[in-house]
Amino acid sequence: MKFSAPLRLRVEKDICIRIHRNLKGKGTINALLGQEVIPSDIIGTAAQSGGFRMINLAKALQVVPSKVQKYMKRTMGQRIYKDELLAYKDGGFLRGKVVVVSSSDGILDFLNPKTGELRITFLPKKTELPAGVYGIVERVDQQKGFVIIRTQANIVYGVFGTGRVRDGMLHIISKRDELVDQSFISPKSDGQVLVGGSIVFKDAITSAISAGISGMITGGINAKDYKNMAGGRLIFPKRMENDIGISVIACEGFGPIPIGDDIYEILKRFDGKYVSIDGNAGIINLPSFESSSLKKVRSTRLPPIQDGGLATSDQQSNQIIDLSLDLKVRIIGNSYAGEQGKIMAIDQSKTVLPSGLKTFMATIETRRRKVQIPVANIEVIL
Amino acid sequence: MPKLSGFFDSFDNLDTIDAASLTAWLKNPPALVQLENYLANRILYPQALPVTDFDMKIDLAILREALRINGPKPETKEGLLLGGNPFLNIVLRKVVIPQKFLNYVPDLVSLTWAFVDGLLLNRKKQDLFEDLWTVVVSGDTDEIVGSIILPQFEGLGDNMLLSVLSKDYKITAGSLTVIPCSKDRCEIAYKFKKGQILGKSTNALEIYGGKLGLMIDGRMQ
Repeated sequence: MKFSAPLRLRVEKDICIRIHRNLKGKGTINALLGQEVIPSDIIGTAAQSGGFRMINLAKALQVVPSKVQKYMKRTMGQRIYKDELLAYKDGGFLRGKVVVVSSSDGILDFLNPKTGELRITFLPKKTELPAGVYGIVERVDQQKGFVIIRTQANIVYGVFGTGRVRDGMLHIISKRDELVDQSFISPKSDGQVLVGGSIVFKDAITSAISAGISGMITGGINAKDYKNMAGGRLIFPKRMENDIGISVIACEGFGPIPIGDDIYEILKRFDGKYVSIDGNAGIINLPSFESSSLKKVRSTRLPPIQDGGLATSDQQSNQIIDLSLDLKVRIIGNSYAGEQGKIMAIDQSKTVLPSGLKTFMATIETRRRKVQIPVANIEVIL
Repeated sequence: MPKLSGFFDSFDNLDTIDAASLTAWLKNPPALVQLENYLANRILYPQALPVTDFDMKIDLAILREALRINGPKPETKEGLLLGGNPFLNIVLRKVVIPQKFLNYVPDLVSLTWAFVDGLLLNRKKQDLFEDLWTVVVSGDTDEIVGSIILPQFEGLGDNMLLSVLSKDYKITAGSLTVIPCSKDRCEIAYKFKKGQILGKSTNALEIYGGKLGLMIDGRMQ
């Protein structure tokens, strides 16, 4: 008797893809069309506005708002650096002198004469955009501030996710089976893509957003947290794009499920390397960090770039295939969820399960044990 | 994402089920977060089979809630063909169980109780004929497998004397009873002190039997 199971593509190795590199703020792109780049090449520079700070000088000086300007030691529009004197008032008979210094670098932007509040706009930070990958520049958009680079990469397909395309340095913060809460999140990880364990809790995601982390990759996530991030529905494949300020990809399912060996091993190899993550599509791009990859990139042509999306050289597989011995499979369902192994045997007669169901069973040899699982509860993985 | 067909493919709104409502159908329910994750994984992998007895109980709880939220709504009854619902034919008073559901819940009695709980429990009866429903398993052909009787008790201490094929049973208010009757037509007679079926406190009639037999839901609404 023949049995079939869905085929799930989880990891695609060494294929050519296109990646976006975006300026963080207004600036200029230095890369040229057709230029070969290496990860350390600076392909653009941008001035990133850092926001502003309000200081109530009337309160600090203990004067009425209309008299604030009289005590200011700097004029409006002038640049000021942290700890420089901003305003000064002599002491009187009963009061001491008042000294107000700037708490940050910035420009004296606006003084409200009615409230006595002073707005200091932070000095724009100059940020450089490294190529991050070995590749060839295929498109330069000065107006929108992005570059498209053809590069060689490994692609990891998660089961589901949320959030727009983001990138950053990959950082493994836990073992593949650890439970990740906010204690794992550090502000030092700003701009990084973190790899968590078997589950990432809501408080960790909230902390990650506050810390400016680009993305999180995990084995599982609680259904309620995912629903909150994904527009309140659980529909697969996803029909809507959502973004809550971070991109999150679950590689296995809902609840605590360790990241599969196949994905975790490849992510470990990219620890500390530049990656990009598309939460809504559930895709992680891991560009090659070997210069020899340029050889393949030079000789590979991809379909024309379509506006609104990046074409990859191969789309995710969507097949049902016949089962055979030694095929690599992954267990779905509530028992042994997410475990991977090889098919050792497929029964030709039905077995009655404790649930009362009568079904065909397969014997799967995982890294730690042999288990018998209904054939319906496995999917073939690539 | 590749998918094989499964039990829960018949519903496209399982994610609107409140996981807390599942706990009412389970003895020793797990933590709410576990139920939420279980439900979400069933949506993600509808083809997966429940392995343990408890998993089957959770699946049946999900089915009850899925039927409840997809059941006919009182306000939509008018004008909709046969009640506008694939599982409950209000005009012919039939509970229709898809044959493929038996591949996932082989115990017809448990499956039918799930349908009763999801579709008939707390349903406001439109007329007294809704005391009696025929159970049909629908596949390539329709097979009548039995009947559901919903007696109208007046109080919790009440009971009904029921005779099925000349055998007597005492049905108490609040009880769930299954009486085998494999014949196509089963002769029954009943007698209430306080209560009624089909508007009468005493009556004798013929109803459909089959491999399920008669299911009597004595729960008070």
